[in-house]
Amino acid sequence: MSKEVLSVKNLNMHYETLSGDVHAVKDVSFSVKEGESFGLVGESGCGKTSVAMSLLQLQADNAKISSGSIVLDGVELVGMNESELRKVRWDGISIVFQGAMNAWNPVVKVGEQIREAIREHYPEKSKAENTEKIESLFKMVGLDAAVIDRFPHELSGGMKQRAVIALALSCDPKVVIADEPTTALDVVIQDQILNEIKKVQELLGLSLIYISHDIAVIAEMTDQMAVMYAGSIVEIGPTDKVFSTPKHAYTRLLLESTPSVVGEKKKLRSLDGEPPSLINEITGCSFSPRCPDPSDDCKNQNKEMKLVEIEPGHFADNCCVDCG
Amino acid sequence: MGEYIIKRTLQMTVVFFLFLVFSYLLFNAIPGNAFSNLLLNPDLPPDAYNRVLELYGLDKPLFERLQLYIVNFFKGDFGYSYKSFPKTPIELISERLPRTLMLFAIVNIVSFYTGFFIGKILAWRRGSQSETWITLTSVFSYTVFYPWFALMMLWVFGYKLGWLPIGKFLYPEKWYDAPFDSDIVFSSMIKFTIVVSLIQFAAYLATRGIESLSSRRNLRFASLIAIFIGSYFYWNNGAALIKKPYAADIAYHMILPVMVVTIVAFAGTALLTRTTMMEVLKEDYILTARAKGISQKRIRDRHAARTALLPVVTSFIFTIVTIIDGSVLTEQIFSWPGMGQLLLQSVLEEDIPVAMACFSFVGVFALVAHLLADISYSYLDPRIRIKSQG
Repeated sequence: MSKEVLSVKNLNMHYETLSGDVHAVKDVSFSVKEGESFGLVGESGCGKTSVAMSLLQLQADNAKISSGSIVLDGVELVGMNESELRKVRWDGISIVFQGAMNAWNPVVKVGEQIREAIREHYPEKSKAENTEKIESLFKMVGLDAAVIDRFPHELSGGMKQRAVIALALSCDPKVVIADEPTTALDVVIQDQILNEIKKVQELLGLSLIYISHDIAVIAEMTDQMAVMYAGSIVEIGPTDKVFSTPKHAYTRLLLESTPSVVGEKKKLRSLDGEPPSLINEITGCSFSPRCPDPSDDCKNQNKEMKLVEIEPGHFADNCCVDCG
Repeated sequence: MGEYIIKRTLQMTVVFFLFLVFSYLLFNAIPGNAFSNLLLNPDLPPDAYNRVLELYGLDKPLFERLQLYIVNFFKGDFGYSYKSFPKTPIELISERLPRTLMLFAIVNIVSFYTGFFIGKILAWRRGSQSETWITLTSVFSYTVFYPWFALMMLWVFGYKLGWLPIGKFLYPEKWYDAPFDSDIVFSSMIKFTIVVSLIQFAAYLATRGIESLSSRRNLRFASLIAIFIGSYFYWNNGAALIKKPYAADIAYHMILPVMVVTIVAFAGTALLTRTTMMEVLKEDYILTARAKGISQKRIRDRHAARTALLPVVTSFIFTIVTIIDGSVLTEQIFSWPGMGQLLLQSVLEEDIPVAMACFSFVGVFALVAHLLADISYSYLDPRIRIKSQG
């Protein structure tokens, strides 16, 4: 088995706001192995992006990591100071943000923005080396070398997103986080970009963390996956296991709310209500208020939220395992 | 780009022509016979009077006069000053202009540079205590009644403390045995300033392509030191050595006006930069830059401030446009004999050829500055470049 590149243990992060602390990430643990792709799925506001931001520690000023550890290649990232973190960013973990449209500074050439990242981490490299590196990256993601001298507004949305992927790979990072990289694109381009990411990941043996609300994309892209709800992971395991035998009521609903192209026709289910406010401390099961058919234990909030191993490598939150 | 400039120049010519006609008509509307005010000058010999009357058709009806004026104008003949007769407006302007340009070029560059710098720090330190205080101070100096403030500064520094001269641009007693005119010293000071800025700019351009950030910084620093050493040698050798005490006298007189105008003018830039940059800091590409591991200072200067520059340059150009008419107040308070005073005097004394020449100079200045603004936009924001070509 290949070794773990990134391991996150009991990560807790909250935003300090005027109306109280918002616990966006609660007790999240997962690990990513070398060359593996890990998916993080959940509805909007469940804390996916907060997890991504915590990994790079790019969270807003009012966000605090209260406890937990993030270990990248044997190095603890929590508690690092700014200049140590700057070395880790992009070189250790890079990120493809949602909305590539705005990821580029409009007044600086694309090539220069990539060059800048390489220059920061490998100042000894010459200009020619950097140009060569950028050209090879562009070739890998299917862009013309001439894009180096283009300004961002001269590229189409798809081209920008490809260039963002090239940017993310520019310092040969150990882990790449893709935070909803295809959200702003139309389906045809989405498919192209997904294929591009997959190709590059296999080619370079990258460890990838893929964040999406689109469960179909997660199924296509990842080996391992975790389902997040209200700031915590409710189910985690190999992607095929989670899809074939979903254990948590939320995962089941999430799967049943997505249409399937093959197989029998089923009525799609929808989930009423909204995720709970994360300001208040939630005791017991966070999903039970929305659970369509909660078990007695769940309804009475008898069980503590805790991941239990259902089959090897496949964990689910024990509250809702028995719910309908 | 070339096509664009030609097109704009043609437009500007039309606008300028209209400007000239309207200015002439406005002056003509002054009660009394403004254009033959010449009569009032007792020093004027009668045949010179008749000659001028005939040359510029001052006894002809309005339309013919106007026609003649415009034809003469484009020939470069602006007539003669009524008050200081044998002198032409061009002579008067070329004597006054360097003084105004020198003072206000320095004021504008200093105030915009400090304003931009302070604004960018303010945006960066948003929410801190120092930000609150500096913003409050800026709002105060932005809104203060300028003539009052200038007089207070004159009173404190010129009268109470006696550190700086009250008004005028030189001590006449120092210049009694000066081997040259003050204009010559002024123009050599201007030339010196221009050459220094060009060298600095060239050094910046030359080091742009260097990949290593540290050697780029070191080279730029070295060029700055070279400029300092070079200017030391320039002012202590040859022709410049003789001019040095006189140049120093002028520079000494410039301190207070530069200081006062800068204090008033920097605040607008600082507040504008602060607002624009706070918008820019919310953009996603700032987050991308942080994720790339780039240093805070470089994110601030290279990504945030660079993008926030556009509105600041706009306001800079508009300030440049109003240098001459804006200098009236300052030059009056500090008795600085520049274009502003010439403009005011010539209008008050109905010295129409001089006033017309001054105003047309203001017009040309404004038109050219706007053209320069449009051209510089296209370099600051590549998104505009495409549109201007299309």
